Formats: sequence, C-alpha cells, structure tokens
Amino acid sequence: MDIKFFEQLFESCFWALALKEVRQIFRNKQLLFLLTFPPTVQLCIFGFALSPDVRHLKLGIIDDSRTEISRELVAALTENQVFIAQTYPANPKALGEEVRRGKVDVGLIIPHDFQRTLKRGRPIEVQVLVDGVNAYTAGVASNYVNQIVNQYGYQLVARPQGANIVPQIVYLYNPGLISSWFFVPGVMGMLLTMVSVLASAVEVVKEKDAGTLEQLLMTPASVLEILLAKVAPLFFLLMGDVFLSLGVARFVFAMPFRGNLPLFLALSGLQIFIGISLGILLATVSRSKQQAILTSFFITLPMVILSGALAPIESMPPFFQTLSLFNPLRHYITIVRALMLKDVGVSVLWPQILALAIFAFVFMSFSSYRFRAQAQ
Amino acid sequence: MKLKRVWAQCVKELSQFRRDRLTVALAFLLPFATLLIFGFAIRLETKNIPLVIQDFDNSAFSRAYIERLYGTNQLDPVRWFRDKLAQDSINQGKASAAVIIPPDFSRRLKEGKTSTIQVLIDGSDVANARVIKNSIRATNTFFLKTEGLLPKQSLITSRTRVWFNPGRQESLYMVPGVLAINLVLYPSILAAIAMVRDKEEGTIVQVYASSTSATELLLGKGLAYLSIALSEAVFLMMAAALIFGTRLAGDPTPLLVGTPLFLATSVMIGLFVGARSNSQSAAIQVVGAANALTTMLLSGFIYPISNIPWPLSLLANLVPVRYYIELTRDSFVRGTGWPGIWFVFPALAALGLVLFWGAWQKLQRMQFSD
Repeated sequence: MDIKFFEQLFESCFWALALKEVRQIFRNKQLLFLLTFPPTVQLCIFGFALSPDVRHLKLGIIDDSRTEISRELVAALTENQVFIAQTYPANPKALGEEVRRGKVDVGLIIPHDFQRTLKRGRPIEVQVLVDGVNAYTAGVASNYVNQIVNQYGYQLVARPQGANIVPQIVYLYNPGLISSWFFVPGVMGMLLTMVSVLASAVEVVKEKDAGTLEQLLMTPASVLEILLAKVAPLFFLLMGDVFLSLGVARFVFAMPFRGNLPLFLALSGLQIFIGISLGILLATVSRSKQQAILTSFFITLPMVILSGALAPIESMPPFFQTLSLFNPLRHYITIVRALMLKDVGVSVLWPQILALAIFAFVFMSFSSYRFRAQAQ
Repeated sequence: MKLKRVWAQCVKELSQFRRDRLTVALAFLLPFATLLIFGFAIRLETKNIPLVIQDFDNSAFSRAYIERLYGTNQLDPVRWFRDKLAQDSINQGKASAAVIIPPDFSRRLKEGKTSTIQVLIDGSDVANARVIKNSIRATNTFFLKTEGLLPKQSLITSRTRVWFNPGRQESLYMVPGVLAINLVLYPSILAAIAMVRDKEEGTIVQVYASSTSATELLLGKGLAYLSIALSEAVFLMMAAALIFGTRLAGDPTPLLVGTPLFLATSVMIGLFVGARSNSQSAAIQVVGAANALTTMLLSGFIYPISNIPWPLSLLANLVPVRYYIELTRDSFVRGTGWPGIWFVFPALAALGLVLFWGAWQKLQRMQFSD
C-alpha cells in the first residue's frame, strides 16, 4: 500500500511541478545563498548587538568640594558600571556644553560646602543634569542617580539596624539576565517571517510577470497543486533555516532548549507556511512586481515592530496592543521564547497555537482563492 | 560626462515612475503609515506589568504595602490563588512577577527587624525583569518612609533637571528616528527596483549600446530618485510636525544640508544593490534582509549604539542612517547645531561616494556579466 502511495505521488502533477521548482531554485545559486547565509549571520550579529541595558552612561563631574565624602559619593555612583566617570569640566558652563554636544549623558555638580554641611548633620542638595533626548534612558538614569544619592545619604545617618524590607529576588528561566536569550528567539521569528513573505511574494510574482503562469495553468495540474509545488521547495529551505538558527542559538549563544523539540519544529513549519501564504496573497493582490515588493516590505516591518521582538508589547498604546493580537509573529515569538527557556507545553501554549492555526487556514484559503480567481 | 545625458536619463526615469499611478501612491502612503505605526507603537518605558502577590501576613500593614506596590502604573494586579504555587502564574504566562509576603512580615517590621520578601521574576523578558526589580526596591524605601520606619529625608538629595525634553516624552526620541528609518528604506527600495527592472527587461542593453557612460546613467537615475525621496522627506516631516508636534529646535541649516546628502546615500544604496545583483528577487532580498533590519537595529533607532559591544560597534559606523538619526534628533530635540554634529557630513559623504564607486565599478564595463 505504501508503494502504491509513492507510485501515485511520483506520477502526480504535484511531484513533477515540485521537481521543477526545486531545480529552478537550485539553479539560482544567488537565491539559495541569500535565503540561508544572511539570516544566519544576522542572527549572530543582532543576538550580540541588541541590549536593552542602561549601562556605561557618561558622567561629567564637577566636584567643588574635593573632599573624602564627595569622592565617596562619586565612587558609589560609578561602582556598578551604570555610570562611568567621563570628564571633570571646570565649571557648570563647560558641563552644559558637554551635555549639549552629547559628550556627557549625566552631569553631577557637588557644592563646595558639601562636607562641611554634612558634618554638621544638615541636609544638602547636589545638582544633577540629565540629557533628555533619549527619554527612556533619561528616566532610568535619573532614577538611578536619585536612588544611589539617597541611599548614600541614609548611610551617613549611621542608622542602627532598623526595620527593613529585603527583597530576595529570583530570576526564573534566565538567571543571569542575558540579553541575547531574550533577543535571539525574537530575531529568529522575525527573520523567518520576513524571508518567507518576501521570497514567496517574489517567486509568485516573477512567474506572473514572465507569463509562465499561463503555461502552468494549461497543464493538467490543478491550481492547488501548482501552488503547493511552488511553495514546497521554499518551505524546506526555510525549515533548513530553522535548524541553522537552532544551531546558532545553541552553540553561539549557549541558549538552553527546555521545551519539546518536535512541537517547536511543527510550529515553526506552521509559521513558515503562514509567511509563505501571506507572500502569495500579496503577490496575487498586487498588479506589478514593484507593488508586490513595496507592499511586502510594508507588511513585514510593522509585523516586526508589533511582535514584541524588539520593544515590549505592554508599553504600547492599547490600540496597538489589540492590533498585535492579529499578528502571527507575536504568537510565534511567544511560543519560541516559551519553548526555549521555559519547560511548558501545549497546555499553556494552546491559545497561541490555535491563533497560528487560524492564521494559516485563513491566509492559505484566501490566497489560493485569489490565485484561482486570477488564473481564470 | 555630459549634463544633457544625465538630465535625459533623469526625465525618462521620472516619467517611467509616474506612469504606474499605484506605485506613486504607495511611495507616499506606505512611509506615512509606517510613520504612524512606528511613531505611536514603539515605547520602551514599561507600564502595566502583570504582578501576582501572595500575602500570607494578611494584615492591615501588609495590605498597605500591597497598595503601594500597585500604586505606580508600572505594576498591574493579577488575581492568583493562595493555595497554588506562585511560580505557576509565571509559568503559564499570566504574570511577569510574583511577590510572596511572609506571615511574620508586619510583626518583624514593627519590632524593627528585617523582613525578607520573596520576589520571583520572569527572567526571559530581560528588560522588564530589571524594571520590576527597581520598582520593588523603590517601593520598599518609599513604604518604610511613609510608615515612619525610615527617616523622612535622606541627608543628601539630588535636584534633577532634564534638558531638551523636560517632560521625557518618548515620542520626541522615537519620531526623529522613524523619519530617518523611513527615508532610507523606501528611497532605497524604489531605486533598487528601478535599477534591476532595466536589467531584467533587457532595456539596459539599449543603454549599453548608447553613448551614455556609467557615471551618467547612475547620476541620471540617482537624480530622479533623489527628487522623489526629497518630496517624500518634505511630506513626512510635515506629517510628523502635524501629528506628533515635532518642531525644529535651533538652527535649521544642518537639517537642510544634511537631508539631501543623506537621501543621496539612501538612493545610492538602492542603486548599488541593484547594480550588483542579477535578479529582482535577489535584489529585494539583499535590500530587505540587510538594509531594513540593519538600519533598524544597528542604527541606535531603538537601543543606543553605546550598548553594542566593541567589534560590532565598528559595523554600526558603516550604517549611513546612524548619522542621520543623530542629525534629526539634534535638529528636532537637542538643537546644538553645527558644533555638535559636524561629523555627520563627512561620514555621509564618504559612505555615499563608496557606494557610488561600488555601483560604478559594476556598470562601467557596460556589458552583461552573466
């Protein structure tokens, strides 16, 4: 019975067409190279380069006091690498100029009567100047300065061991808070989706432009067979990309894989399928190659932004949070992060899996409908 | 080189572009939509992080503490059962953190002793994890102060002034970046398509056969797409001013000089890729994968360039949009002008020339390579 199945398969139009597509892709060495090499390199680069930490902020210091206590305060600020003592300008005007030119992120001015006042047990103020161009960093930086300065001020009061709340913090799944463990799954999903949408859109539109689509439609093959054969080689190439990415995650970034591997592969396949269907859909609705390229870019970039791969979804305005629920990439990235870092399965991930399945069904049926409508 | 031929090439290119009405519309609509989506959606300051609290003390004191924790808009309450493991709420993705308050919380604090609370944080989201930690630390100090368990005032306080953007509006940081990203993506894609189309349709053979030189061809096409890019730039900047309220801060001349220079490099990226690749699918792959993502991620658009570790930070210096982002942020927010950003101009000019040379190298032989 198995043999019969294979006989049927090999004699079918689908097989012949798939072979044609495979040959076409393998003849195009440039495409083969572009589908595998850049995504892998980019995963490496972005995995290392992306980091949300606020660290190594350049601190400009004017210490008019020049005393032991003032130096200790500076040491308290710079000891944990958040701030780095960059410059010691002569006066506030020079400090202002350095902030203006971006040489300094945070300026600190310690008054000349700093030690004297503190020794008398009186409170004193230090001035802090923050470059607010990057609003997020500025917020974090000013919080840090306030916290450290306040803390140092409390220490001086020589308080006896009093009431205190000590949080005992445990970071689950990523105890070292390694940035790449957060970004690698996101970048992986992002690259897979971009490449699958762009490549499939171009492949279909190329056939349309060259007029060879009509030739294919003259053959006894059905529309669905043509479509599936068209995407089959692309699908397997992209699955190859999934394995490459897994290898990079494992061997370059030493990421754990705690979940279920077959589940991960199946869902990655589903995501690639969604990307390819979306690409075909875009190719069938656009009238020219330029339009297909422009619109597929236009679709994929917001998909990346609204996926939580780079910036957190929680901080988006409510409208965009709702919109992101209609983004398959968001669900896929949630799945990849969960499967790589947490040991969870279908019982937790079913809403995301269901969403992906619905997207796959809707996109594929709509794009094959459009394809068929255009064929006639 | 004859200016007349450059001009003729430019006019031909523009009329070819104009003929496809839908593409013309898309060339303006898509950047506009991108401006809206990126400009509104990308925010780094985290709010409403779901937090579970298990209170085993259950006193008025601990409830006051919980109220403090939820008092900021950073943490959002999530209901969880007292008899279930707190960690499960994080495992199931219902919460990003859990705080467990021990039964002797209020007793120990009132006796002037230290009480330890358990905090479990989902470390898979690195950025949020740090925010949660800092937020809980700050709440602890604040709570102890309001309950009179810590002196009200520290001896040293800091008076902070935030320059350039006193309200710390994130849109002021993001929107100039989005403008720059848009102005590299769309002009370069349009130029790449134009270059490759000639090759695929074979019309480039006519150019090869004519007396037009490679320099003239590149300049002609470049000029045409530069003019399209310039109108996109004016349109997007007006839209940003109307929608996000971005205003020029200080001297406008760096922006006026820098924008055409930058747009010229954007168009050159497209022509370079177009000249170097043989088929359209390959061309958009290169522009797409390399250009779009690199410009977005290695340009300091979302996370500062200073966060990129050393050898890779050198790579960031080769990304033209990195310089233009510094320029737009200076022109729209900081307003330092020439002394602060003079380096942008030689860098952009150098990168543009390198790209031009790369495209010219490929085209100058004026024959098919494959």
